[in-house]
Amino acid sequence: MMFKTRLEGEALAGFEAELDALRLEVLNDIGERDAKHIRKMRHIVQASAIVGRGSLMFGFGPISWVAGVIGLSLAKILENMEVGHNVMHGQYDWMNDPSLNSQTYEWDIVCDGDHWRHSHNVEHHNHTNVLGMDHDFGYGMLRLTESQKWTPSTLLQPFWYLLLAMNFQWGVAVHDIKIGRFVKGRMKYAEFRERLQPFLKKAGLQLFKDYVLFPALAFWQWPRVLLGNLVANLIRNLWTNAIIFCGHFTEDVQTYTRKEVEDETRGQWYLRQIQGSSNLEGSRWFHLLTGHLSHQIEHHLFPDLPAPRYADIAPRVQEICARYNVNYNTGGFWKQYAGVIIRIFKHALPTRRRLVQASQT
Amino acid sequence: MFTVIQGLDMNKPQAKPKTRHSPVRQFLRHPLWAPLNQRSGWDRLATSLNPLWSLMEARARVLKIVDEAPGVKSIWLKPNARFKGFRPGQHVLLELEINGARHSRCFSFSNALGKDGLIRITIKQKTDGPVSGAAHALQIGQIVRLSQAQGEFAPRSNDSQLLLLSAGSGVTPMMSLLQAMVNENSTRDVVIVHCGRTDADVVFANELQTLATQSSNIRVYLHTTETNGHVDADLISQLVPDWNERETLLCGPDGFMQTIEKMYADAGRSQFLQSESFGRRAAPIDPDAAEHMITRGDTEQVFTVQAGQNLLDGAEAAGLQPKFGCRRGICRTCQCLKRSGTVTNVLTGQISGPGEELIQLCISTPNSALDIVL
Repeated sequence: MMFKTRLEGEALAGFEAELDALRLEVLNDIGERDAKHIRKMRHIVQASAIVGRGSLMFGFGPISWVAGVIGLSLAKILENMEVGHNVMHGQYDWMNDPSLNSQTYEWDIVCDGDHWRHSHNVEHHNHTNVLGMDHDFGYGMLRLTESQKWTPSTLLQPFWYLLLAMNFQWGVAVHDIKIGRFVKGRMKYAEFRERLQPFLKKAGLQLFKDYVLFPALAFWQWPRVLLGNLVANLIRNLWTNAIIFCGHFTEDVQTYTRKEVEDETRGQWYLRQIQGSSNLEGSRWFHLLTGHLSHQIEHHLFPDLPAPRYADIAPRVQEICARYNVNYNTGGFWKQYAGVIIRIFKHALPTRRRLVQASQT
Repeated sequence: MFTVIQGLDMNKPQAKPKTRHSPVRQFLRHPLWAPLNQRSGWDRLATSLNPLWSLMEARARVLKIVDEAPGVKSIWLKPNARFKGFRPGQHVLLELEINGARHSRCFSFSNALGKDGLIRITIKQKTDGPVSGAAHALQIGQIVRLSQAQGEFAPRSNDSQLLLLSAGSGVTPMMSLLQAMVNENSTRDVVIVHCGRTDADVVFANELQTLATQSSNIRVYLHTTETNGHVDADLISQLVPDWNERETLLCGPDGFMQTIEKMYADAGRSQFLQSESFGRRAAPIDPDAAEHMITRGDTEQVFTVQAGQNLLDGAEAAGLQPKFGCRRGICRTCQCLKRSGTVTNVLTGQISGPGEELIQLCISTPNSALDIVL
């Protein structure tokens, strides 16, 4: 287990200033290149959706079915990760393009856009890895650190995890309803119903699209469309889940207590974002398919910089971290994902609950 | 908050009352049929075949570019079918892409709509205007976005005698009005007094003289300020002795317009004077002022924000409750449209431009009076 680095005084100020300067440098360079990138991504999404759905609906034989599933999975993955997630962070608001506006964009997933904007942009990115405040930490069903409570059902958490991974879009969709709070009697029914409404609407539209509308338009071919859409959604779920879990739950990722983040400065916030995230290494296409969440550290430092820029600044962030002796958690996909699985299994077993010990370096 | 987007959508410059659509249309547009009935998707497909085939946006192709005077160019545009035409004296928002970002500014039409449906806008290059600079760099064949025509700059009565006063590129709406009168064989009595710094700077001097020869009802006075001094009340009353019996339209630079407006106010004839100007009301930038006036878009509510205070704190101190999230500039929940004025981004120290753009309330401090949509 890595130790948590804390910086103070001049070192903290210097660390903050260097990261601020890096952000400004990228901001001043944003332009045509980034606009072209997001438009190109949107075209690829549209083209692969048309090809994918087309070959599912009108193709013959297993090869066209597999091609259809691949096309549709690619469309959903790219739309959710590289377009939707990044647009909703405001990475392209500077373009003044109403169809790429962070506050109104709606994506191809059962999670309602406004719910996502709240649970992800506000809660998760603000309170990253602060236990009890970042509800993305374990998604309310997984125990990933010793300071979380163990119950007998935690023993089954590898199985719970498999269920969550397979149905990840649903996990994300109900996230901001805060069902747990309602069940524990800490939310009135009226509020619960109000929170439920956008979810039901969005989920209904998505289910209708994938399991009624497109199958029906294929007439007698409806079974292969229905099945293809189901598999494409499953592939997207497994992939996004794996990437997102690799971003925050690998072995050396740190957690924080509420007390630790009281009166946090921007430099300390940067420090927490770095130590609460982990990167994945891979090719350009790998990064695109993760929506550049493979650069989770850079994304958490600067969530509203256009995502392809993360790859550019990663070596410099790593260099700054090395100088300030901050652990920069990165590795290949299988190494990092193995770390996640180990963590899930490890904390399934009971350990004595203790507070996260703050350690000095 | 969603008015933000309406403000950005160029085809809906004013908030329109909700229109009731027919049941058939409601059915076809129902979100259940998405993505099959998603216009944005079809629009992207159509415009990738031909950029003018937009289903939603008024767009136009640059046909011809004419140098009118030093630093002044006319751009002839062929609009697509989404553009619904214009009346003389109106203006349009021209939207250009500059380094990936869309920027738009108002420009008056400088022609009258003919059978060919062509549009002419005449643009003076400004040192601090990114849009006018980009407009001057346009090439023949390029595609631009347009709003629908806006504005009501035209004579209020149908038969009154007219006086048109313009300076520099302020002549553009006058050209449109005069051209329309000639086209309609109007018998209305019109005088235009138009000035520029030197002979070369008098925009449309030749065209105005041609119009005067086409119609005996149009009299043209051209004036150069460098040799003959600035236009003032004396000059107007000397050139047009019956000026105070004429309905007057005015367009030009600030100082010129203020002179004429004062002349009309002194004579008690302000109600017969209509002015047109873009960006004239831009507030002076003063980051050191103790407080700044913030106008809330359509509601016309005004509150003040202390210098150095961010807009979110300021709005809350004024008793407003804007949406907010992280309060540290990362989540964009408090993002809103700034229509005019400049702000400083406290995260980066960057100072914004004066025009329309999205700002985050929690990390923006005002440098001038602002107009924002909350």
